[in-house]
Amino acid sequence: MAGKGLSNMAAVAVIGTLVALLMIAGCLGSEGDSATSPSQQITVTGSTTVLPIAERAKEAFEANDASAEIMVSGGGSSVGVKAAGEGTADIGMSSRDLKSAETTGYPGLVKHHIADDAILLAVNPANSVESLTLDEIRGIYNGTYTNWNQVGGSDQQIVVVGRDSASGTREFFSEFVMDEEDFVRTQEEFNSNGGIQQKVSQTPGAIGYVGLGYTEGVKPLALNVDGTDVRPTLQNITSGTYPISRPLYMLTNGEPEGLAQRYIDFILSAEGQEIVASEDYIPVQG
Amino acid sequence: MARDFSIRARCRNFGWPRDRGTPEIRGPTAGAKRRLIDRAVGKLLFLGALAAIVAVFFIIIFLLRDGYQIVLETGLWNFLAGTEWNPTGRNPAYGVFPLITGTLLVMALAMVIAVPLSIGSAVFIAEIASPRMKSVIKPAIELLAGIPSVVYGFFGLILLTDWIRVTFDQPSGSSWLAGSILLAIMSIPTITSVAEDAISSVPREFKEGSLALGATHWQTIRRVIVPGALSGISAAIILGMGRAIGETMAVLMVTGNAAVIPDPIYDVFSPVRTLTGTLGIEMGEVAFGSTHYHALFGVAVVLLFITLAINSLARVIITRIQGTQGVRSTPPRRVKAAIQRSTPYRAITGAASRIAHAVSAPLRGLVHPRTSQRGAFLLISLSVAIVIAALGVILFEIVVNGAGAITWEFLTGSPRDLGRAGGIFPAIVGTFYLVGGALAVALPLGIATAIYLIEYTADTALTRSIRTAVDLLNGTPSIVFGLFGFAFLVLFLGFGVSLIAGQITLGLMILPTIIRTTEEALRSVPGSLREGSYALGATKWQTTWRVVLPPAIPGILTGAILSIGRAAGETAPIMFTAAIFSTRFLPSSLTEPVMALPYHLFVLTTTVPGAATQSYGTAFVLLILVLAIYLAAILVRRRYSQAKVM
Repeated sequence: MAGKGLSNMAAVAVIGTLVALLMIAGCLGSEGDSATSPSQQITVTGSTTVLPIAERAKEAFEANDASAEIMVSGGGSSVGVKAAGEGTADIGMSSRDLKSAETTGYPGLVKHHIADDAILLAVNPANSVESLTLDEIRGIYNGTYTNWNQVGGSDQQIVVVGRDSASGTREFFSEFVMDEEDFVRTQEEFNSNGGIQQKVSQTPGAIGYVGLGYTEGVKPLALNVDGTDVRPTLQNITSGTYPISRPLYMLTNGEPEGLAQRYIDFILSAEGQEIVASEDYIPVQG
Repeated sequence: MARDFSIRARCRNFGWPRDRGTPEIRGPTAGAKRRLIDRAVGKLLFLGALAAIVAVFFIIIFLLRDGYQIVLETGLWNFLAGTEWNPTGRNPAYGVFPLITGTLLVMALAMVIAVPLSIGSAVFIAEIASPRMKSVIKPAIELLAGIPSVVYGFFGLILLTDWIRVTFDQPSGSSWLAGSILLAIMSIPTITSVAEDAISSVPREFKEGSLALGATHWQTIRRVIVPGALSGISAAIILGMGRAIGETMAVLMVTGNAAVIPDPIYDVFSPVRTLTGTLGIEMGEVAFGSTHYHALFGVAVVLLFITLAINSLARVIITRIQGTQGVRSTPPRRVKAAIQRSTPYRAITGAASRIAHAVSAPLRGLVHPRTSQRGAFLLISLSVAIVIAALGVILFEIVVNGAGAITWEFLTGSPRDLGRAGGIFPAIVGTFYLVGGALAVALPLGIATAIYLIEYTADTALTRSIRTAVDLLNGTPSIVFGLFGFAFLVLFLGFGVSLIAGQITLGLMILPTIIRTTEEALRSVPGSLREGSYALGATKWQTTWRVVLPPAIPGILTGAILSIGRAAGETAPIMFTAAIFSTRFLPSSLTEPVMALPYHLFVLTTTVPGAATQSYGTAFVLLILVLAIYLAAILVRRRYSQAKVM
């Protein structure tokens, strides 16, 4: 076997490339179109349900205003409320209403109702079940029913999938569907709508709750309300026939100013509400 | 004036003895100035060395500060032994027992899978492989160590859970088994490299003596070499356990996160939740100051204690085994000695060894040693093949699916449409900034600590505490660093979620690695070089700077490169301290949050549906980056170890 292995030159080349890459990254400005640093920045954080709306709206907004920088991150509704209240973010996103502790703790919070959302019960497309009553859903999630054949499906173990403990979606589901009963202990928890959607689409016996925009690869169930099957269509949701719907909020500490105000106004404008609709959420009336 | 060449004059010229009462007024001699610098530098290094202790101190303080309230609210017993973890239920329950069980179960099964495979691989590399095979397999297994944990989690989520669900006909693949398989793959490189080092350092005479007596190679390995390397092997296993317990991202993504104790206890397909998974999935979303918040910090404290316990266990086992091997004999305690001399003890151990002997006797007669050697070597080769196959499958999946996502726009554009379109350039740059900053924090402190420990002091209580602190930092799970960074840097110091908070957190995380590798490098410089330098009259700092450090640079460099690899791939420390999901611009100041590749991959995989291609692409870029860095480290090490004249 040869003696030295790598030559001096090769070793220097490898290390040099790494160093050069680091330096280039530092010296390079921002990408392509805009070389200036942002004149205004805001941070938007909170609910992962509202996140798609905020992201798409941000892209459309930034396409018109090259110097604006809107930094978006997830984390959950609780994070959004706290960040807006504490001032660590300019806008907080929430998919649930404020709790009493939060309204007393952050009295200056202003809610901007930017869209409506419905919670869908999603099952795997291979599942034969088409609709369930609210009681059956509650029974599945609190562990009373463990097999699909107990609720009109085939003989298959039910895999219960839900959100993690500080999610606004879970909070809403718990309050509205579960009557605040405890979830079954074997429920698998994911930290986002997307995670639940992925899990349900992969697992034949799974059931999960997701927002309206997360229906790819899964089958949303109709709700059996007093004998009639109510499908989660836009019409049923806006008319209130489909019972599990909720408002989505953007929160600011006091009235918004500057870039934050322009951004929220943009979302509430016709163009913004079109984006809301294109993401499969319900635009607010007027 | 004629130059005086008497001995006295020469001594005075040299600066000895010190002029105490000379009426002449002279400025400080060159010698005195050098001594001043020496002392000043020594003090500076001492301050730097305290960094490790200060860091550990702060971590424990801040975790306790935010965690002790939960004990006040629910009581220590309810917290530790409560069987229900339901922080947001109607009646909130904060019992961490299912979480502790989850952690221990996942780790135990991971060790059951990993230890045979790793020891087999280590034996293979050290004893059986040809030099050419060794030069390929050893770096390959070390590369396995370089793969970031979020990539493992991604691979597990996309492939492993589905495979388990289909193969074992289970309703869901997210399970204890999935977590353990991933953890096993992740700890195999650690256990293998340390065990292989231990096996290689068993003195040749042992092996040669055994072979000379007519034993086969396998008999030698089994009865002479492996027992001889037992302390190193035990250390390797314990290090692997530490790695398994501290892992967050991978288990978070594949274990299902259900806080239950599997029923029955051996149901490997049951979902579980680990302590680290709880922190990862709930920390970012908890309301600050609430009971849930305090409970999570309590979980972090429990995790830290478990890690501490394992570290101490490691050290106890190693000293005990070293003691029985006669390397260092600890005088037996009177009671223990008395017990060992007693008749019942001797009877029991005698019976046990005789039974073991008798059980293996028929087998011994039955199988020719050469056949059993062939069988054993076959099993060992199989274990290496499994490990390499695991690496191959992971790399193959990611490369094949990820290479398709790589376009120029992907590498240089900003994310759009929730990351489903556009590129990841800000994430790449963010990763570089984070790693650069982490090095800037850790290198000076780490090198200063190592120099202080090796060159400036002997073995005192202070150095022992510094070493203990470094060990502790080394074993601390990355999520605990993230929590500490969040509580201290983001909230307490008010940096907010920012680049600087992430850099300091990552810097603390890689500090132990830098200290350890620098110490090793300094220790390997022969003492004769130092003595020669002192003999020529150099001060300690001059010796260190000009004589000891230069030959140690390659080792320091290797440590730095390995740390870069680790820092670039970690998600948990930056999740709450520096990372945001999307931004169009690059950070223009240290107080802005940044995008980072591991966090981007994590969010894409768990939050954004329909982003499969981009996920694979991000995983691919991250993998290439980290593997390139590890490769550089291996090449540097190989080049310098071959150039060394021993």
